[in-house]
Amino acid sequence: MSVMTMVPPVITGWSAISPFGLDADAFATGIREGRPTCAPVDHAAWPVPEERACLVPGFDIAKLLGAKGTRTMNRATGLAVAAVGQVLGEEKLTAHASEGTAFALGTTTGSAQTMMDLTRQSFVGERPYLVEPALIPYAGMNASAARCAIRYGLKGPNTTIATGRPAGISALSYVRRLLATGRAARALAGAVEEYSVARSWLHHHGKNGNGGLLGEGTAIFMVEPAVSATRRPLATLLATDFRACVNGDFGATVLTAVRAALARGGVSADEVLIASHSGASGPAGQAERAALAEVAGEAAISRVPDLAELIADAGAASAALQIAAVLSVAQTLRTAGKAALITSVDPDGAVACALLRLADDTLPAGGPRE
Amino acid sequence: MISDNPTNVDGRNAGRVVITGLGIVSSIGIGMPEFVDSLRSGRSAVKPIISFDTTGFDYSNGCEITGFEPGRWVKNVPMAELGMASQFSIAAARMAVEDAGLSTDDLRSLSCQISVGTADGESRDLDYLTETQVRSGWTALDPTISSRLTANLLSMAIAREFGLSHAETTTIGTACSAGNYSIGNGFDAIRMGDADIALCGGADAVCRKTFTAFYRLGTIAPDCCRPFDRDRRGILTGEGAGILVLERLESAIARGATIYAEVLGYGLTCDAYHPAAPEAAGVARCMKMALRDANVKPDEIDLISAHGTGTKANDVTEVRAIREVFGDAPPRTISLKSMLGHTMGAASAHSAIACSLAINHGFIPPTINHRVTDPECLIDCVPNESVAADFRIVQINGLAFGGNNAVVILGRYDKESA
Repeated sequence: MSVMTMVPPVITGWSAISPFGLDADAFATGIREGRPTCAPVDHAAWPVPEERACLVPGFDIAKLLGAKGTRTMNRATGLAVAAVGQVLGEEKLTAHASEGTAFALGTTTGSAQTMMDLTRQSFVGERPYLVEPALIPYAGMNASAARCAIRYGLKGPNTTIATGRPAGISALSYVRRLLATGRAARALAGAVEEYSVARSWLHHHGKNGNGGLLGEGTAIFMVEPAVSATRRPLATLLATDFRACVNGDFGATVLTAVRAALARGGVSADEVLIASHSGASGPAGQAERAALAEVAGEAAISRVPDLAELIADAGAASAALQIAAVLSVAQTLRTAGKAALITSVDPDGAVACALLRLADDTLPAGGPRE
Repeated sequence: MISDNPTNVDGRNAGRVVITGLGIVSSIGIGMPEFVDSLRSGRSAVKPIISFDTTGFDYSNGCEITGFEPGRWVKNVPMAELGMASQFSIAAARMAVEDAGLSTDDLRSLSCQISVGTADGESRDLDYLTETQVRSGWTALDPTISSRLTANLLSMAIAREFGLSHAETTTIGTACSAGNYSIGNGFDAIRMGDADIALCGGADAVCRKTFTAFYRLGTIAPDCCRPFDRDRRGILTGEGAGILVLERLESAIARGATIYAEVLGYGLTCDAYHPAAPEAAGVARCMKMALRDANVKPDEIDLISAHGTGTKANDVTEVRAIREVFGDAPPRTISLKSMLGHTMGAASAHSAIACSLAINHGFIPPTINHRVTDPECLIDCVPNESVAADFRIVQINGLAFGGNNAVVILGRYDKESA
């Protein structure tokens, strides 16, 4: 077994592709301006039940990633591939770096669209097996993470974390373990959700729909051990905490999670400068906000926009984008030594909390490349 | 990056992690006694698939579960809120928890890591909704079924069934090696103090989508699954769930639990090579990583439970990787998929459970349906009949589309060696 370390890792870079735009700068600007992004849906392109949605503007996979090998790529994979590329930047991975880089990507259940497309072809085709072979690599839940690995040569542990809305926090916690146990020297972690006709209709019919609007996007973070960070830390991942809300009382469950994360991180509530809640629709989200406010105070909550009000329900990407939002806001504040809390709830019962120690300098979006 | 020091976290003892409960839902056995008998006798459960309409496919054998009565295991979560994979997941978890001698109150007093690996989640439900959409349009989708598609329900269902609020529920969606990923996640969560106990494994249900995808790729066998055989034609899709209870050795000893095996270590790598074809280098690297993590030398491995899908590409690549790591005389290498079919996200959990049982019952399960070993897959696959054996250390291989490799190493727990 490897030597383990409990020293918390640091976030040293990030990118986000979101309804605010195609990169971290656009995201940070949108967050600071508090700009809503929902727009009328073009029903010719998207035959969906709702009138409005928050889509990534101008997201054209072939334009962003090239036409080669992207014909059947779904939006989720396109978003993830593009964002990972932005975090890696110009870096060319050596063989050593390639094997030492882990990747954990959060999802709800992969691309419901590609999965349904494949099955639909089986029902309507001349023969039930005459489906488009090029869809198959995108019809698995792990397709996006695997495609990123192939594109950038990420040969370390490659894991798809299907925990829904809190998936970004799950992925960070997961890579924290990989780094602590020496299974990787550094890690990319984040989450992705696509807008699609299938997701829209499933959301429309599902009990958790609540008539809420849908968004999409991705945020990807570079996470490194503090002692070997190659880039300047933006924040330290002090603690995470996870609960299952099994009795319907989301407020109490969130309260327990937040207090546990603070205790584990050795942080008192008055050190929390920024607090971000998930904005889940319905009573779960309301209870979550109240619980976070009870611990962190309204002032901390007011320092970061309610992301769901700006980009609607970004599904599995929501917690990851919340963290990106916190880092965006932190750049504009005197954060010296202060902490940030990020909570997420999924109406299915998952509750998660991440506690960050913010770096004390203001830094450009995406982190410097030193 | 990796050091030899076995159990050190910042100078503290990270402890050993053992398996104290097993729950199994499979086509060759629901529950341990039947599963052990089937492994020993080399049983096959191949039948024509009935869970979806196979009209138009030239052949459609599979390894489906028959006689599964979910109400025996699912006591608390309303059945309508659970797809088939979640039902399997709860059933296997309840068996594992009871086998471990843990009461619901015990569980509620502990912090739990619940990790369920899956390839398809509730894709059987998604297939059903797709059929509805094709026939009647999007407006006709069933609201109840549309509400139970989230993959995390496979692990959340366990938390809900037992009322576990201090639980991290993690569904790992890394396809056909996801069961091993989940065991590794539980292992690390316990060693790092993130959890007192882990309920981990995998679950999947046979579905049209995955059968069709494998069929389209020419990797569904027309009759049965013949791993390592010269005439192998591919996989048969299988289903079920396997859940293991993991805890610290000290806690197992303190409560007098039966210890099936110790989790010695694991490895994860990604080929970063091809979306469907495995690559020997990535697979070999994963085995080496697992061996190093477990502090076990290749010649100490007594048995390999291979991924062994029975496709042309998998078996030749996997054996090449095994020979790269183990040399010209590799340990006996079996494929349980010959009996179970390919149970996808449950596959490596099924393997880990089978090996935990075999190591205690003193036999090696066979690779059935075997006629002539492929000269390109030269290993002793223990053809057709189980053999009695006294063995200690076993390696469980899991490979997946996307080049997602996961290898777990288990060791027999001998009291005198503790």
